[in-house]
Amino acid sequence: MTENSSGGRWRIPLLVGRLALAAIFLFAAYAKLKPQTDVPWSIASIRTSLSMFAMQVDSFQLLPETAVNAVAHLLPPFELLLGIWLLSGIALRYSALVTTILLGGFFAVVVRSYMAGLEINCGCFGPGQKLGPWKIVEDGLMLAVAIAVTIGAFVIHRHRGERAVSVESVSPQSADS
Amino acid sequence: MIQRMRSSRGPSGLVVVTVAILIGGIALRGTNRKGSRLPASPLMTGSVLAQSPATSAPAAAKTASSASATPKQTRARTSTEPAPPPVKVVGSKNAPITFEVFSDYQCPSCRNLYEQTLRPMMNDYVAAGKVYIVHRDFPLPIAAHTHAYEAARWANAAARIGKFEEVDATLYDNQSAWSADGNIEKFVAGSMGNADFKRLEKVMAGACMNDPGPVVGPVRFGNQGCALDAYIEQDKNLGRQVPVQATPTFVIYYKGQKYPAASGFITWPVLKQFLDSLLSQ
Repeated sequence: MTENSSGGRWRIPLLVGRLALAAIFLFAAYAKLKPQTDVPWSIASIRTSLSMFAMQVDSFQLLPETAVNAVAHLLPPFELLLGIWLLSGIALRYSALVTTILLGGFFAVVVRSYMAGLEINCGCFGPGQKLGPWKIVEDGLMLAVAIAVTIGAFVIHRHRGERAVSVESVSPQSADS
Repeated sequence: MIQRMRSSRGPSGLVVVTVAILIGGIALRGTNRKGSRLPASPLMTGSVLAQSPATSAPAAAKTASSASATPKQTRARTSTEPAPPPVKVVGSKNAPITFEVFSDYQCPSCRNLYEQTLRPMMNDYVAAGKVYIVHRDFPLPIAAHTHAYEAARWANAAARIGKFEEVDATLYDNQSAWSADGNIEKFVAGSMGNADFKRLEKVMAGACMNDPGPVVGPVRFGNQGCALDAYIEQDKNLGRQVPVQATPTFVIYYKGQKYPAASGFITWPVLKQFLDSLLSQ
């Protein structure tokens, strides 16, 4: 039996891409949740950090107040969970797909805000990161990696399925034999 | 077969690894550039915040003139009596939160921030002694803001006679009108009584005509320099340390801690939520 290398050659790049995306999301969550000044971690400091992130979301002038608060308070924990999910490698097709959709949304918002001339802080990795051309390039690269990982995950899954079918078809335990 | 696999993996793997490292590096670079470890600002200490521009005006004038004057623009300064400093603040300096805002009077976002966010904050949290607002001028040297510097001069002159709040409000409320023709004086006059306006006119005349001082502000924004420019340049120098890259930019201080600067327009409810989270710590 010869091994089909078309799925195999995706494995290492897929692993690297998955780990890179996981690291990015874990870091993004940490940067939004951590105390923004020299105060110790506490519920109050996390609440302050999330309120600060809410100001950055608000500055995009896209959402009403209730939606701003929902995004600001739900996005960081969601990024944390997504990072852990990517790190685990479990159901990679779906975690990569969710990642791609999320990064696609971020990319669209960043491009739209930049084209609208908003001179604001992105807030993507904590406060202080200015929205500008480099931010668009950065987000574009992350989106490209996410798309590649998603495609790779689906290709590998299909490759595994084909291998399972080919193994069954040549198995001496087949019903007809 | 193994050799074929290795050779088919190598190029694509290298590309993805390189891209992943690049992304990680860019992401970390973007965060490490700024963040909670901001350089200490001279505004951190209460003593500096309470420092009146008058005590630093000679130094500011020297700094401003050395920072931005060119040999062509510098003129000899005539001797003057020390003038009271412009105090561009709103509220009690004993308030736990200080809200320092860098703005340009001809900037539409600054106007929106003032009217939709700062005004309700003044009526609520400033009046209650929770927030102390410090206004810093940061007129942008762009073609669309030709009257911004002059507007800042009027605000600084008004601050000298204790009428800063009135002029601050009228400049934003009537921004569209005076931006069109540069007739700022009309609106400033309308924001106060005749007696106060006469005092203000004397301040402007004394600062900008009888005692023009070194030309540190843009000459094209007025027909000559003005002694009030020293305070505007002082504010701009403070802004460059933040750094202010757009207006409005605001910095919040609470219990000696400086929070990262934020730019752009935000609504009052969202800002209030942040202030409440600070006050509850």
